[in-house]
Amino acid sequence: MKTKNLIWQWVVNIILTLIACCCILPFVLLFTSSITDEQEMYRHGYSLFPEKISFDAYTYLLQDAGKITHALSITIIVTVVGTVTGLILTALLAYPLSRSQLPWRNFWSFFVFFTMLFHGGLVPTYLVYTQVFDMKNTIWALIVPGLLMNAFYVMLMRTFFATSIPEPVIESAKIDGAGEFGTFIKIVLPLSLPILATVGLFQTINYWNDWFNGMIYITDSKLFSLQNLLNRILLDIQYLASSNFGNSQADLAASAPMETVRMAMAVIGVVPILVAYPFFQKYFVKGLTVGAVKG
Amino acid sequence: MLLLMMLPGIIYLVINNYLPMFGVVIAFKDFNYTKGIFGSDWIGFKNFEYLFKTSDAFVITRNTILYNCVFIILNLIIAVGLAILLNEVKKRFLSRFYQSVILLPYLISMVIVGYLVFAVFSMDNGLLNKTILPMLGISEIPWYSEAKYWPYILTIVHIWKSAGYLCVIYLAAIIGIDKEYYEAATIDGAGKWMQIKRITLPLLMPVVTVMTLMQIGRIFYSDFGLFYQVPLNSGALQSTTNVIDTYVYRALMNLGDIGMSSAAGLYQSFVGFLLVFISNYVVKKINRDNALF
Amino acid sequence: MRRNKQGRKAGLAVLSTVIALSMVLAGCSSKKESEADKPSSGNGLAPYEVTVAFFGNEQKDMLEVQDAMNKITKEKINATVKLMPIAMSAYQQQTNLMLTGNEKIDLMITSSGLNYSTQVAKGQLNPMNDLLDKYGEGIKNALDPDQIAASQINGENYAVTAVRDLASDYGILMRKDLLDKYHIDPGKIKTIDDLDAVFQVIKDNEADMVPLVAKNPGTAPFNAGYITYDPLGGGVGVLPNYDNNLKVVDFYETKEYADQLNTMHRWYQKGFMLKDAATSKQDGREMVKAGKAFAYFSNLKPGTEIEASRKSGKEMTVVRLTDAYTTTDSIQGIMWAIPKNSQDPARAMMLLNLLYSDKELYNLFTWGIEGKHYVKKSDNVIDYPPGVDIQNLGYNFGTPYMFGNQFLSYTWTTEDPDIWKKMDEFNKSAKKSKALGFSFDVDKVKTEMAAVNNVLTEYRVGLETGTLDPAENLPKFIDKLKAAGSDVIISEKQKQLDEWAKSRK
Repeated sequence: MKTKNLIWQWVVNIILTLIACCCILPFVLLFTSSITDEQEMYRHGYSLFPEKISFDAYTYLLQDAGKITHALSITIIVTVVGTVTGLILTALLAYPLSRSQLPWRNFWSFFVFFTMLFHGGLVPTYLVYTQVFDMKNTIWALIVPGLLMNAFYVMLMRTFFATSIPEPVIESAKIDGAGEFGTFIKIVLPLSLPILATVGLFQTINYWNDWFNGMIYITDSKLFSLQNLLNRILLDIQYLASSNFGNSQADLAASAPMETVRMAMAVIGVVPILVAYPFFQKYFVKGLTVGAVKG
Repeated sequence: MLLLMMLPGIIYLVINNYLPMFGVVIAFKDFNYTKGIFGSDWIGFKNFEYLFKTSDAFVITRNTILYNCVFIILNLIIAVGLAILLNEVKKRFLSRFYQSVILLPYLISMVIVGYLVFAVFSMDNGLLNKTILPMLGISEIPWYSEAKYWPYILTIVHIWKSAGYLCVIYLAAIIGIDKEYYEAATIDGAGKWMQIKRITLPLLMPVVTVMTLMQIGRIFYSDFGLFYQVPLNSGALQSTTNVIDTYVYRALMNLGDIGMSSAAGLYQSFVGFLLVFISNYVVKKINRDNALF
Repeated sequence: MRRNKQGRKAGLAVLSTVIALSMVLAGCSSKKESEADKPSSGNGLAPYEVTVAFFGNEQKDMLEVQDAMNKITKEKINATVKLMPIAMSAYQQQTNLMLTGNEKIDLMITSSGLNYSTQVAKGQLNPMNDLLDKYGEGIKNALDPDQIAASQINGENYAVTAVRDLASDYGILMRKDLLDKYHIDPGKIKTIDDLDAVFQVIKDNEADMVPLVAKNPGTAPFNAGYITYDPLGGGVGVLPNYDNNLKVVDFYETKEYADQLNTMHRWYQKGFMLKDAATSKQDGREMVKAGKAFAYFSNLKPGTEIEASRKSGKEMTVVRLTDAYTTTDSIQGIMWAIPKNSQDPARAMMLLNLLYSDKELYNLFTWGIEGKHYVKKSDNVIDYPPGVDIQNLGYNFGTPYMFGNQFLSYTWTTEDPDIWKKMDEFNKSAKKSKALGFSFDVDKVKTEMAAVNNVLTEYRVGLETGTLDPAENLPKFIDKLKAAGSDVIISEKQKQLDEWAKSRK
């Protein structure tokens, strides 16, 4: 039994190590390309082991250090506020949906799910947020539209609540005199840390990586988020290549930045999220231990 | 009380999703800025015509559906498999390491993924053509003009990018499974394989079903970045890389027509809606609890 | 039971909110129309803020420049300016949304590339003729009547072009040091077929270098580099040789196009171009700068040599291969328009007029504040302030041709001080396309256009970079275009062109 377990552990670890390599290698390539000397890049192309290293791309980006740190602070505020609020909204909506006592449960489920299928499109959404709620060029425009809560996570959490938290646990809490809300806070949430951490992580990533809201709702540079700043350059290149402008007076912008700079921008965009990740992992593990004593 | 808890979320959905739905009328209108949304003239289904009036209509629909089917199935198998494996890792440090690493690809934007793929497949200085193929004695392959390779490349890229993400969801569900089941099974002498088959998989079913249903709802949509940025918009690859989203993008890039883009969205939603309805019905027949609604 | 009641109450609340909101919305989309032209001039004007939308990425010192501009505009037209630079890639979408949402924009950049004629058809822009007559004297002085008329639709200006290079010829830019090194006489290059020999020399002697690249990433070398026809607004259907007796043809079916493709394919096979040419995302000029490329095709204007050399950091020799022509597209490339949303179109026009006639204001907008963003070397010549270069300059959108009348611009020490005189001559001496002034409204054939756009992206870059063999793919390309409805577009174009020609007589 013992040796069998040991072999099993080895097999698992070897497979996972291989997979991890597949995931990590391209990222290493991304990083090395960002520190490859520009000339070298043109001459020998991409390489995992650049012959000549240069941090030019980063110094180039850091010229705008003030701009970047400002954008970073916007991104952090938006991510934190958005994730926390979004998580609360999602959990509050998902929990009742998971309870069989909820009146018209199927209707509400459908009500939520329907939003995943149909949407009015960009123009009406824009009108609602700018005309009715006057969010244009406010930080709310980066937080609220589209990202705050989405049906996908609600359905996911609902399913988790429904399957992982036994009805008897909830019933017994109620017998002890706790109200619906009290049960939810004291019993259900602590048992659901894994899914809360998962959805929280996804929300964080979504907020972190979002540039679309910025592109649509923000024209004031004081509110540019990091991704907005970085993506703008990439998007401009793509636009130049594919629009009608390519045909006529095409000198519209300064020429596209070097490949290395684009790579450096990607690295700058990813690193902070990596730093934040262990924070979420802590809760995965916590969920494990809490889950073990429940029931 | 339960309804009260739901209220904030419901209000948000009303604002964010239901309120803008009045905008679907745009799809049936010849939108004019002076006249506004409601004042513009009705033109029936004219905005939809471009989606069908092309010799590519079949190709893009086929591509969209085939890719999505393959993605749904492979994602399911690989992500669930990964999650189970991850759950088996005893060393906490290693487990955390793997978790972080498999999520890495999800964090990189598709534009950059496109560059990375180019680094591998480029004719002039790609890793494959310059290093690996010569070692194997194979002559250069013009990857970006040979459409036949791209279904594989795109599938691999997609799995690479999203398996980690889905795996985290399944992992959360597995972690949520009561440990007592496993303890009992171990006492009964059930092996690892048996435990996975009899405990983990059945208890994962609800999450798997929901995830799959939700993906079916989006079967007419595709990841624009994957199909546009990764093949670098190479025309020669369009027979295997053109999907509805890229078709619409290319069609409207220079037209900027709001009516026509709404029409495309409506069409995609409508088909997804039908498919979900049917599959949800089937699921309901099999197991009421797993259905979405 | 109690729970149910509460729920219903909540439901009601939601419902009534929805109704209220949609009513507000409906109101928003219909409330309209402003107190347009007030018959006032000079100083009796109420203060007003003119919002100006244009392409560009935010500059660090923009607000400072804006304040300085306000000092001038406040005094002259009692208006302040609000600059609103929008990233190029987001421009069309954002302006469309803002116009839908009735947000305030008073002046904005438009272009044939943004479907100017469709914008007009869709009612986005204010007619301008009256405003030009009343408040646009400076604009009228800065432009020829022909140049103003070229952006008219049915006799009405909805936009007016910026004063800049309004014609274009095409040719190739090559590294001068290498031409000298291999004793190549650029004067002997008369047609594109003369280039084979040149490229061969480079290919044979410079192992690290590719002879020909495309100027813009993701395009073919001839794209914006070598054009011999009037594109008539893009898409399919062009006027070969800028005349062809106003008969629109499908350029992709002409012998000329087939010949070009054969040349390209030959060049590609001889290794004169990147093997990745069809997918390369590298900027041609950057590659020249990095010493990786020798030449690229480009549209030209007076001063191209200097501008290109500065950009590439290598001295470039220009060989002009076509005559200079003025077309509707070259004039409509960058224009200023007053959108429907402007609450005071008259004031917007007054500001525009200043940008075309007030030297101080134009240079402020374009180059920033004297002493901070540039220093004067002589009356009309400027340079970077000490310790400042293009990398750390706090204000420079890099698009001097956009901000009104470029002929008012100071010249940089690296530029020809007579450049604007030469540019003016160039504009005036350029031949005029027979269809100059015709704008194509794509709206009627947009279904076909959508399908055709897809076929174009499928084949053009591959064929025009020589990556695809034309013998096999050109016929396929043409067939697919036809299947997508190119003939419908061409005949619609012809119809509109005929009507336009008739109305001109």
